[in-house]
Amino acid sequence: MTSPQAEIEDLIARIAMGDRAAFRLLYERTSAKLFGVCLRVLDDRALAEEALQDVFMKIWHRAGQYRVNGFSPMTWLITLARNAAVDRRRRRDAGGRAAGAPIDAADLVADPAPGPAQQVQARSEAQALADCMAELPGDRAEMVRRAYLEGVTYAELASSTGTKLNTVRTWLRRSLLQLRECLSR
Amino acid sequence: MSGPDDSDLPGGWDAAAAEYVLGLLPEDEVRVFEARLAQDRELRQDVQAWEEYFATLTDPVPEVAPPPQVLRRVEAALFGRARKPLWQQVMPYLLGAVAAAAIAWAAVFSGLLSLDTEPHLYAELQSGERGLELLAHWAPDSETFMVRRDAGDLPAERSLEIWLIPGPEAAPISLGLIVEDQLTSIPVPDEIAALMPGATVAISEEPSGGSPTGAPTGPILDTGQLAER
Repeated sequence: MTSPQAEIEDLIARIAMGDRAAFRLLYERTSAKLFGVCLRVLDDRALAEEALQDVFMKIWHRAGQYRVNGFSPMTWLITLARNAAVDRRRRRDAGGRAAGAPIDAADLVADPAPGPAQQVQARSEAQALADCMAELPGDRAEMVRRAYLEGVTYAELASSTGTKLNTVRTWLRRSLLQLRECLSR
Repeated sequence: MSGPDDSDLPGGWDAAAAEYVLGLLPEDEVRVFEARLAQDRELRQDVQAWEEYFATLTDPVPEVAPPPQVLRRVEAALFGRARKPLWQQVMPYLLGAVAAAAIAWAAVFSGLLSLDTEPHLYAELQSGERGLELLAHWAPDSETFMVRRDAGDLPAERSLEIWLIPGPEAAPISLGLIVEDQLTSIPVPDEIAALMPGATVAISEEPSGGSPTGAPTGPILDTGQLAER
């Protein structure tokens, strides 16, 4: 039996070879989830549509760079969608000016060799993250969540909390370390 | 070299990996981080692990079916023209008779019946590494050479230069640099316009501001021959 994960991996592999039918199938399987992610980040239908277009253009061109690594292929797709949406959001907020580094580069990270950590399959990442986020002070966990789901920057976090940028950054980096430590337990 | 290790901030590379995935790392630190990432496998695994964990934050996000035009636009951009609805396919024939009459009318009154319109020429260019998708388009009627950027980002602090190679033995002629906007539009003098049919277009990566020598110096990202569509 083919798992949904294996099916998506197979579709991505076929897309890498230029298979348009596989591209359309992948779109049918994943576009609603990815559009949901774009909408969550952008809260604007027209921009979310544009971001989704960016995502599928990238999927077509970068399918060959995707490596099966033991992680869910949905992570790759969700990361592409989240980053495309955050890029659009930051461009909008900057009024069309280039706003900092495009974070699109992070999509490219793919280590072909699975390490021991990835082979531990049975664990639920979602549960682990939720448990560890719950150990952070509430406002810090919220900052992490907003950074990922809304693409807020340190500057925005600083002004919304009325603190200096470097102070916010110090807080958040400590929290991220704490999170990392908790997740590797 | 300054990296997270040198700063007063807590967390070093471990915290930077999470910031990188969240998109919180300042631009200059991104470059330093990526240079390190290229050599540090453990750091790559850290980044992957953060991507995996943070992606689960989207678990509660509801699925929303996108409107059908998104797939149409994507496929049109990637694979060429989308299929038109039937009435649009028929319309040119219906309009043909009207247009012919109008053109004849215009020709009579202007006294200029010029049928030697040259075809528009196109070349598709790609650079897999950057995800760049370019469409070069020569419009002979306006003597304008255009490059449309459909996907991908321009390199930071480098320029992409457009070259015309009129024949197998000919030296590349610089047409100009690709601009930040989606569409680069370059007016072309008559003597270069005459070279367009059958010529090859190349894109090279050059130092900021373009090739210092007048010939390509950086890597050629892609080439394509101009042809009718």
